[in-house]
Order: sequence, then C-alpha cells, then structure tokens
Amino acid sequence: MPEELAIRIEDLSIKYKINIDTKKTLKNAVMRASKGEKVRTRIVEAVKHLTLDVPHGSVLGIVGANGAGKSTLMRAIAGILPPTEGQITVNGKISTLLALGVGFNPALSGRDNIILGGLASGMTRAEIEEKTEEIADFAALPDGFIDMPVRTYSSGMYGRVAFSVAVNMTPDILLLDEALSAGDASFKEKSFNRMRELCAEARTIVIVSHALQTVNDLCDSAIWMHKGNMLAKGKPEAIVDQYLKFLDVGTLPSNLEDM
Amino acid sequence: MANPKTNFAPAIQVFKPHRASLPPLIPYLKEFWRRRAFAIELSRFADKAEYLDSKLGKVWLVMNPLLLAFVYFLLVTVIRGGSTQKTGLSTLAHILIGLFTFYFASNSINGGALSITAGGRLILNQAFPRALLPLSSSISAFWQFLPTLPVYVLVVVIGKVFFPHTQIPGLRLSYLWAPFIILCVGITGYGMGLLFATMNVYFRDTNKLLSYITRIWLYSSPVLWRPEILHGWHKIFLYINPLGPSLAATSDVWIEGRTPSLGMLVGSVVWALLAVLIGGYFFVSRERDFAVRI
Ligand SMILES: Nc1ncnc2c1ncn2[C@@H]1O[C@H](COP(=O)(O)OP(=O)(O)O)[C@@H](O)[C@H]1O
Ligand SMILES: [Mg+2]
Repeated sequence: MPEELAIRIEDLSIKYKINIDTKKTLKNAVMRASKGEKVRTRIVEAVKHLTLDVPHGSVLGIVGANGAGKSTLMRAIAGILPPTEGQITVNGKISTLLALGVGFNPALSGRDNIILGGLASGMTRAEIEEKTEEIADFAALPDGFIDMPVRTYSSGMYGRVAFSVAVNMTPDILLLDEALSAGDASFKEKSFNRMRELCAEARTIVIVSHALQTVNDLCDSAIWMHKGNMLAKGKPEAIVDQYLKFLDVGTLPSNLEDM
Repeated sequence: MANPKTNFAPAIQVFKPHRASLPPLIPYLKEFWRRRAFAIELSRFADKAEYLDSKLGKVWLVMNPLLLAFVYFLLVTVIRGGSTQKTGLSTLAHILIGLFTFYFASNSINGGALSITAGGRLILNQAFPRALLPLSSSISAFWQFLPTLPVYVLVVVIGKVFFPHTQIPGLRLSYLWAPFIILCVGITGYGMGLLFATMNVYFRDTNKLLSYITRIWLYSSPVLWRPEILHGWHKIFLYINPLGPSLAATSDVWIEGRTPSLGMLVGSVVWALLAVLIGGYFFVSRERDFAVRI
C-alpha cells in the first residue's frame, strides 16, 4: 500500500445472511432437521464492490439514505465486520464512534464508562486514567452528572460523553457514525471546533452524517452511497448537491440509473 | 504516527474474507494479552454495576452455595441413613468445597456462554479479541469463588470445635496444591465457556440446555459422593468428566489432607488444556462472524 494512504478499500463487498422464518435455536434446528426442511435465508448485500482510497490527514464524508450501507462500511473499516469479498488495508490506530454509546453500561457512572470505553479501544489503564479528566471536562455535563449512573442521562448528555471519548483518544483514524449531532448548540460548536483541531493535526477522519452542512464544512471529499453502491465521489459540495437533488426528486439522476 | 507516546501495536492491518479458520495467532494472542486489563476491569465494573445498590447481593453469592451445600448434606445423610460424628463433618466439608469449586467452573461457563450474545453493543462497535469477554466472565466467577474459601475454613474450624473426633485434617502441606488445582478448574471453565459462547451465538437456547447439562454434570461429579467409592474400571467416570480429576484432587487436598495422585493431577492439566484448546479453536475461528450474527 502506498505510504500516503490511511485506508485502502479494494473491491469490497459485505453480505448479511438473515434467517427469515425461525429463531436461531437448537430446538428449531432439530425440528427442521427431523422434517428435512431447510432454513430459509435471505442475503442482504449491504456494500457492493466498493473501491476507495483515503489518504492520511484527509476528512471523508459519507452521505446516503438509511440502509445505504454506511454503517456497515464503517464497521468493516474498523475491523469489526469481515469483508465477504475484497479487502481493506488500514494504516494506523483506529478510534470508532459508531452509533452512539460504545458499550455504555447504564448502571455505571459516566466516568466508569469512559474508563471502560478507553480500555475497550485498546488504551492501557494508565493512559485512560490520565485522559479521564480531560474527557469529562470536554463533555462538561451539568452538576456532577459525570459521577451519576448513565441511565439518569438525557440522550444529549449521553451523546456528549460518547463523542468526548471518541475525539479524545488521539487516534490516527477516527470513524464517526452519526455522532456529530450530539448535544445542544454550544456543544455542537465545541465538537465542531474539536473536529477542526483533529483535522489540523493531520488525522484521518471518516464522517457519516445527515447534517449535510457539516459534511460541507469539514470534509475534503465525500462519497454518496445508495443501496450498497458508491454512486458518486468528489468534492463535498458537489456530492451534497447531487444528494440533495436526489432527496428532492426521489429518483436517481439519469446518469447514475444504471449502477 | 500522530502520537508516538501511545504504543498501539499493529500499524498496518489488513481485513480480508475468511473461512472458518484461525486468524494469525501470534498477533491475536499479543492483542489479547495487551488488552487483558480490559477483561479484568470489565468484570470489576460488571460486579460494581450489579451490586451497586445491594450489599446483600454479595452476601448472597456466598450464602447461596452454602445453603445449597447444607441441603445436599441433609439429603446425602438421609439417603445414607444417618452418619456418625466421625464421618458427618467430613461429608459436609467434602460437599462444601466440592460445590464451591464446581460453582466456580459452572459460573465461569454460564457467564462465558452469555458474554457474547449479551455484549451486543460492544461487539458491534469495537474491534478487540472477542475471547476477552468470556475471560472477563471467568474472572468474575473467580472473584465470586474466592470469598467462599474462608467460609469453608470457618465451617471446618467451628466443626472441629464441636466434633473433635472428625477426620478432617488441620493445616497441611497438601493445601499448597490448592492454587494449582483451582487454576486448572479456572482454565477448564474458561475453555468450556469459550465453546458454549460460540454455540450460543448460533443457537440462542444453548444456555437453557446448559442448565440441564450443569445439573447432570454436578450429580456425575465427585461432589455429592466421594471419589473413593469408584473402584477398578469405574474410575473411568472420573477421567471422562472434564471436572472429574480436579474435583477428586480437590477432595484429596482439602478432605484427606494428602497430595493428589499423579493420575488426578495429570487429568486436571489435560482437561484444562483440552478445554482451552478446543474451546479456543471453535471460538477464535468463528469470532469474526459474531458481529454479523448478533
Ligand atoms: N446486523 C445486521 N444483520 C442483517 N442485516 C443488516 C445488519 N445491519 C445492517 N443490515 C442491513 O444492511 C443494509 C445496510 O445497513 P446499514 O449499513 O446500517 O445502513 P446505513 O448505516 O447506511 O443506514 C440494510 O439493508 C440493513 O437492513
Ligand atoms: Mg447507519
């Protein structure tokens, strides 16, 4: 892989196999076997033959409708979902914020969850303890909520902690899946600034967001995914434009129909 | 690299399709070892979360096997038609230590079996060696097991005051074998936890099946009966039971106050290795599938 690349995705396909009618139990399996029935499954192709290079220090935005395969792609880059075909090469340490609340245990305090989250992402106990205060400060929850059980949090507070954890991990590659919309206006501005900082520190960032303005402001390039395909790739403004037009009209632009 | 201070191991990672085969083992084990603190803290925090508001919960952890042991003791005594002062206490002690040890293994297996399916969020959102989750369950089981040991000692000491003619030994050198045997039980429990955790991902009712298996397993282990009652070829029942040798050795150490026979020691080690190798193979070769199936 060329030096300057942080992520290289080559002809990546990811398929989910879904059992349609029965629950996956031993009992059902035995029943079916005794009747000679087969399991009915459906294959969902969440990502189809996607090829993409992400250079070091660049910020990539991914836009697309629900079910387009964005989260699936992010999980594959993080090494969580194995490719069905193709391969992904990643150069650098990854921090993920995929959907809100990475492994958050609602019975524990925010602080404990920060420690657990840090350890899960591969930090040592000393490293995360050193960072906990910084993360808690960044989240800036009102009146000592950081030491209260997470189940008492509002969804905004929850999102703030999750976001603070992800952006304070000093990763080489940061994956954010619909995470920028956490919190109120002031926190949004703060997280936006933090993102700017991270970009300036030459980190590689991949953002999935429905806040198209954010994509425009933060990203160097963007892709548009639709039903597992990468429909377009280019400058964020152009991509967002195309995507907005699609959202307005509800049909794909004619030059992309055949994909 | 952006932050030279942190020692994040593999710089370049390649994710490729896989069949049911093992990933490169050396990096896997390195990563597993590097993140062991996560498993330890996870079990600590899980305990903390569970018993945050109930101090009684922790007491119950010890009370439950203790009461059960007394129930079994009564049953065994009734079936046998009473017992003498001489054998009564040692029967109770044997059931106690056997049950505590058995519970250590079965808690570790049951907890491990559920750890993957219950860890949904964590598994979908973070990449880490999944074998850490059952390990965390085993560590929890160990922390639950540890306080039962002083309870055992207390029961025996009190018993010896009231029944001075009992056969139970006092402090013996043989007790030095106990940590070794507990380690074997722990590894066996972890290995089987890995196996059942894998099964539970594919068949969600595995843990129900497991509760029957556990019960049958308990009755066929030398917990409610002494290993000495098996003679000749019947001894094979001890060896085909993954916990047979280690439970028999437990009884040797605590009740008889002697060094366990070589056969039992070798049996304990062999079962520990078999469990962790077979369970580990099934688990690790399929763990990349877990995120898709959860
Ligand atoms: N765990 C899963 N099991 C089966 N199918 C899934 C799973 N996760 C996502 N899918 C399917 O994959 C497709 C892409 O989903 P996803 O990547 O979550 O899209 P997006 O994040 O763009 O909304 C959808 O059709 C969805 O139904
Ligand atoms: Mg999504």
